[in-house]
Amino acid sequence: MKKLFIILSLVVGMSYSVSAAEPALLPTRIISLSPATTEILFALGAGDRIIGVTSFCDHPEEAKKKQKIGGLSNPSLEAIVALKPDLVVMTTDGNPQEVDERLRTMGLRTYVWTARKLAELPDGIRGLATAIGVSAQGERMAGEIEKSINRTRYKVQSTKKMNVLYIVWPEPLLVAGPGTAIDDAIRLLGHVNVSAKAKTSYPRYSIEELIREAPEVVFIGKGSGMDMQAVSQGILKKLATVPAVRNNKVCYVSDSLYRLGPRVVQGIEELAACIK
Amino acid sequence: MHKVRITLFLLMAAAILVLALIAGPRMINPLAMSATEREILLSIRLPRVAVALLMGMALGASGAILQGVLRNPLADPYILGISSGASLAAALGLLSGFYVFGRSSVPVSAFIGASLVSVLVGAFGWKRGGLWPERLLLAGIGLNFLFSAVLMLLMSLSSDEGLRRAVLWMFGDLSMADWTLIPSASIFIVIGLGIALFRSKALNALILGDEFAYSLGFAVQRERLILFAAMALMTSASVSLGGTIGFIGLLMPHIVRLLLGADSRLLVPASAIAGGAFLCFADLVGRSLMPPLELPSGTVTAVIGAPYFLYLLRKKDVLGV
Amino acid sequence: MFSAYSGPILELDRVSFRYPGAGRIIDDLTFAIGGGEFIGLLGANGSGKSTILKLAAGMVRPDRGIVKLWDRPLAAYRNKDRAKLLCYFPQHLDVSVPFTVREIVGMGMYPYDIPPAMAVDEAMDTVGLLDKADVYVTNLSGGERRRVFIAMTLIQGAGILLLDEPLANLDIRYQIEFLRLLRRLQEQKGISVVMALHDINVALQFEKVMVIKNGAVLGIGAPEAVLTGPMIRDAFDVSIELRKAEHGMYITHEKWF
Repeated sequence: MKKLFIILSLVVGMSYSVSAAEPALLPTRIISLSPATTEILFALGAGDRIIGVTSFCDHPEEAKKKQKIGGLSNPSLEAIVALKPDLVVMTTDGNPQEVDERLRTMGLRTYVWTARKLAELPDGIRGLATAIGVSAQGERMAGEIEKSINRTRYKVQSTKKMNVLYIVWPEPLLVAGPGTAIDDAIRLLGHVNVSAKAKTSYPRYSIEELIREAPEVVFIGKGSGMDMQAVSQGILKKLATVPAVRNNKVCYVSDSLYRLGPRVVQGIEELAACIK
Repeated sequence: MHKVRITLFLLMAAAILVLALIAGPRMINPLAMSATEREILLSIRLPRVAVALLMGMALGASGAILQGVLRNPLADPYILGISSGASLAAALGLLSGFYVFGRSSVPVSAFIGASLVSVLVGAFGWKRGGLWPERLLLAGIGLNFLFSAVLMLLMSLSSDEGLRRAVLWMFGDLSMADWTLIPSASIFIVIGLGIALFRSKALNALILGDEFAYSLGFAVQRERLILFAAMALMTSASVSLGGTIGFIGLLMPHIVRLLLGADSRLLVPASAIAGGAFLCFADLVGRSLMPPLELPSGTVTAVIGAPYFLYLLRKKDVLGV
Repeated sequence: MFSAYSGPILELDRVSFRYPGAGRIIDDLTFAIGGGEFIGLLGANGSGKSTILKLAAGMVRPDRGIVKLWDRPLAAYRNKDRAKLLCYFPQHLDVSVPFTVREIVGMGMYPYDIPPAMAVDEAMDTVGLLDKADVYVTNLSGGERRRVFIAMTLIQGAGILLLDEPLANLDIRYQIEFLRLLRRLQEQKGISVVMALHDINVALQFEKVMVIKNGAVLGIGAPEAVLTGPMIRDAFDVSIELRKAEHGMYITHEKWF
């Protein structure tokens, strides 16, 4: 009888301790709910602590091998909980707010990434780095990005302002509007994004309007696995009269600026190289 | 013979319910659960199944009622524009950042939207002291087109984020189901069901035609109005719970008619049960087919429902033609 | 049960009615129907006979005048009570839902809180459809379908049947079958039958005919008395004479063309 009682209280006690575990100061089971945060986490050296990512997390290569827990706007609650994470990293740029609330109601720790603009990136990195316990790494990464930004800003002080267009997808025509990292980069380089007047980040722009804006440089971003030159034939023909096309100032660049992450520096350099 | 069929029917529905709780994508054995599994079962699966059950019941019963009231076998709660009205209201709420009710703001706006559309349809379908089936149908279809167009206009003008969220909401999203809305929605659905069950005889009579319904001693316009209101209430509650999920209202009454006959006293509750089971099943399939990707339940019901509906059309007895 | 009573069961007293937006369609109409009567309401299309039936049934309210059932205003009856006394039979039987015969006949019980006098099986047997009790009405012929609804009215226990052109679109075999059924009900149960029709030949089968034109009664009485040449000309705008044959009457003329 006494033995039974001891065993019972042990079992009960253990189950209590399992559910009342205190949050680890150094999270070792991290789930990332957006490609941008996944990239940053890997860049901060926390890649091996990541146990789950979205199906869109394709950078770096190792991320593709991680367990998938769903999409950006519809991650699977069940899958997340089943992996028993001690930190779930989310973003306001794509994840539903309800996910954060539900996870917290269930006692899981979350970190919400809020940086949207280029200028907010360094502090964003610092914040995330502290949350996962690598403040030093974060400081280093953030510092480098800030230096790069300042360097660029200094270099372009004397250049002429040009009209620039960044095409995200040729047909249907999607361009990079305000509020994107691309727009921030363009302005950083001292130029004008012709689609900055649009109301949304990736607007469907009127071709007529673009022609009137007369962009002097056109960037075409890389789509996944596509031959961008081939699919852009049509739109470039339509834009044949704009200065950029006439003077052959059309550059095909990578998708480094699509996400506010560690590759933005690279992306900015790409843009700068083309404009020169 | 009937009793045997009914029992089998109920058993199958119960089995599907249990399966929805325990199965996919990961099997959970309720007798040997880890703490995590218990968490998943109680916090995620249980509310999800509850929502699916409630929505399915509401839509199944609404379909049975509407097909009787409109005397049209193709009637479905959404044909009257209730879904596009609700989607429009939800989209407006999402895009304008309406947050008065906190997290429940979107469902509440959807409910309000659905209810308003129902009233509008009723108003347009009203003439000379009563609701007329043909007018209701035409008014509903017309309003459906109108709201769909306005919704598309809104979506083309909106930001990507708002757009994405509005579209996802409309697809029918049960993945975030939690307990918050279930109590109020249940009340509405139970009330609607209760009204319909108490007025099953009137519904039967209405199916025979206004003249026979009158001859049998029913206040035709009043009964029609009451049944329409019950249907609208249940559909609005359903839409507020998990967006628009189609085919249940259309299909369940037909299936039940084939199995158990056309008597509304059996048809309405059985369509409710069938709808609940079917949606639980569709939700199960949606989340188990390609984990961790979750297919929206509305898509699954359409993919299963549409071909089966077309198959049913080939059977003569469905339409009596 | 009803045939012992000799007063009028259903009365229309100076009833006037028009549909909104139409000219005056029924004006100052007065007539009465007694127990066990078999009346044909004969008139051309658009003569107002359907409207008269609807007024008599209480489906539309008269603008002026009053309709009385068993000497009480029809409007004063509760719906269920009226349903136990009076039945209306529309022209179009539009049932595409697979109810069985038994289910529809069973609906005759709806006005009752306690089971009515006649059982469902008995009603089906009376109309000759007991063997088809579990068949879907959608699988029955037009004539059989009408009999299903007659059985339903039998369960309701109504003493008056108001039928709007029930013989339309029926083959002559089914017309005769249906009329014979109604006749039987009148004779055996004392049910009054008032039937709107526009076929003069059928009207000749009735013991009493009311000729209607423009919402007014041109004449009431036995067919041979009422359906004179002038009357037919007035009501139907055609020159036809009725000639009496050995065992009844038939319409004749020089050939039609």
